[in-house]
Amino acid sequence: MAATTKPMIECTKVSKVYPDGTVGLKNINLKIAQGEFVVIVGLSGAGKSTLLRSINRLQDITSGEILIAGESITSARGKALRLLRCNIGMIFQNFNLVKRSSVLRNVLTGRIAYYPTWKTTFNLFSKADKQTAYEALQQVGLADKVYSRADELSGGQQQRVSIARVLAQNPQLILADEPTASLDPQTSRKVMNDLKMLNEKYGMTVVANLHSVALAREFGQRVVGVRAGEIVYDGQMSDTPEAVFNDIYNGGVGKGVAQS
Amino acid sequence: METSYQKLVPQTTNKLKVCWHWLIAIAAIALIAWSFTDMDFGGIKASAGQIAGAIFKGIFHPDWHYVYTGDGEDLVSELWETMCIAFLGTFISAIISVPFAFWSAHTKYKRWWSARLGKIVLAVIRSFPEIVLALMFIKAVGPGSAAGVLALGFHSVGMLAKLFSEAIENLEEGANEAVTATGGSKWHIMMFATLPNLLPALISNTLYRFDVSLRSASILGLVGAGGIGYPLIIALQYRQWDRVGIILLGIIVMVVLVDWLSGWIRARLV
Repeated sequence: MAATTKPMIECTKVSKVYPDGTVGLKNINLKIAQGEFVVIVGLSGAGKSTLLRSINRLQDITSGEILIAGESITSARGKALRLLRCNIGMIFQNFNLVKRSSVLRNVLTGRIAYYPTWKTTFNLFSKADKQTAYEALQQVGLADKVYSRADELSGGQQQRVSIARVLAQNPQLILADEPTASLDPQTSRKVMNDLKMLNEKYGMTVVANLHSVALAREFGQRVVGVRAGEIVYDGQMSDTPEAVFNDIYNGGVGKGVAQS
Repeated sequence: METSYQKLVPQTTNKLKVCWHWLIAIAAIALIAWSFTDMDFGGIKASAGQIAGAIFKGIFHPDWHYVYTGDGEDLVSELWETMCIAFLGTFISAIISVPFAFWSAHTKYKRWWSARLGKIVLAVIRSFPEIVLALMFIKAVGPGSAAGVLALGFHSVGMLAKLFSEAIENLEEGANEAVTATGGSKWHIMMFATLPNLLPALISNTLYRFDVSLRSASILGLVGAGGIGYPLIIALQYRQWDRVGIILLGIIVMVVLVDWLSGWIRARLV
C-alpha cells in the first residue's frame, strides 16, 4: 500500500487560537504512523480535545497544516473534505448517537458517505451494508439490540454502538475523544478492549484522549503528553516511567495546585 | 481539623439599579393611568338590563334541537367543519414551517444574516391577523372553508416556524458532529441527526398549534370563511340567544375535548 510509506497523521506547526483569544494549540508537530495505538494524556483544558477535533476538522486550525495519509485536510473543501473524513472514525465522550433512532440506523450512519445523498434520504441502504452493520454489532456483543432504540441502552452499550458505527464506517484512523469519561471502570475496560480489537484485528490507527492513567498505561503503545496546548512528552509506553505521568498531571507551571 | 468559616456578607446592592427599577415601575403605572384617559365611556343604555336578561336566559336555556337535525347545517356538522378547517390549516402550515424553520434557525452551519432575514420574514407573516387573511382569501377563493384553511395555514407558519426554529437551536450539537465526522454532508446531518432529534418537538408544537387554530377557526366564520362562526354570527344578529347558547356550549365542549386529547398525545411523546 502506498499509504504505509506515509504517516497516518502528520501535524506541522499546528496552532489554534479561539476567537476570544484563548490559545488552544501551540506549534504542535506530531507524526503518527499507521497501526499505532496512541494515547494523549493531559489535564482538562490542556488541548487534548482541540488537537483531536482538529485532525478531522470538526474545528479549523489557525495556522499550520495537518496531513492525513499524505493528503492535506487543512485545505480540503466540500466533497474532498467529506471523503477524507470518511476515512477517519470518531468516538465521542457523550456517544453522540441519534437517541430516537434504532441501533441499526445509528450504525448505518457510518456508511452514509459511501452513498449518493438521495439514496440515504429514502433509507435505501443496501442489504450488504445492513449485514455489515449487523456484523459490526456482533463484534461489540450487541447483536440482540439491533432493533432497539438507542436511548433504551445503557451508557456502556451506547458507546459500543458508536464503536460499531466506526467499524461499519471502516476507516483507517480512529479518533477517540475521552471515550470512557462517562463510563464506570468495568465498562471503560470493555470499551477500551473494543478499541484494541479494532487496532489489532483491522490494523486501524487509534488516537485516544484519556483521563485515566491506569487505562492509558494498560492500552497505549505510545504516550503523548499535552499541557497548555503544547506537546510536553512523546514516547513509547514501555519506556515511560511513572514520573512522566506525575509531571504531566501535577507538574508544570502552576497547574494542579489544588491536588490534595 | 479546626476550620473557621467566613461570615455571610449581605448582597451588595447597586443604587443605580434600584433607581432604575423604581423608575420603570412608576412609568408603567403612569402609562396605565394615561391609557384610561382616552377611553370613551358613554354610559349604559336604558335597555341594557332587559337585553342582558334575555342573553342570560338564552344561554342557560340552549336550543337542544339544533344539536343534530340531519340537514348538514346543525351544530355537530358545523363543529366538524370547524375542526377540519383547523386540522387542515395546521397540517399545511406544519409542512411549510419546516423549511422556514431551518432557514431562520441560528446554527453554526450558516451565516448570521441568513437566520436574521428568516426571522424577519416570519415576523411579517405572524403580524397579519388571521381574520384579515381570511378576508383576503375570501376575495381570492370565495367564501367558505377553503378561505379559512388558507388563512390559518398561512398565519400559523409565522408562529409554528418560530417555535420549530427555536427547537432546532436548542438541539444538542453532538449527533450532528457524529454525522459530520463520518463524512456526511449538510443534507445528511439534517436527515440523520437533526430531524430525528427534532421530531418530538415538531409534533408537540404542531399539536399545540392545533389547539390554537381550533379557537381561531371558531371565529373565522364570522367573516364568512367557513365553520361554526357563521351560524354564530347569524344567531347573534337575529338575537336567537338560545341558539347562541348551544353554539357556545358546543365550542367549549369541542375545545376541551381536543385540549385533553392533544395533551394526552403530547405527554406520551418523549
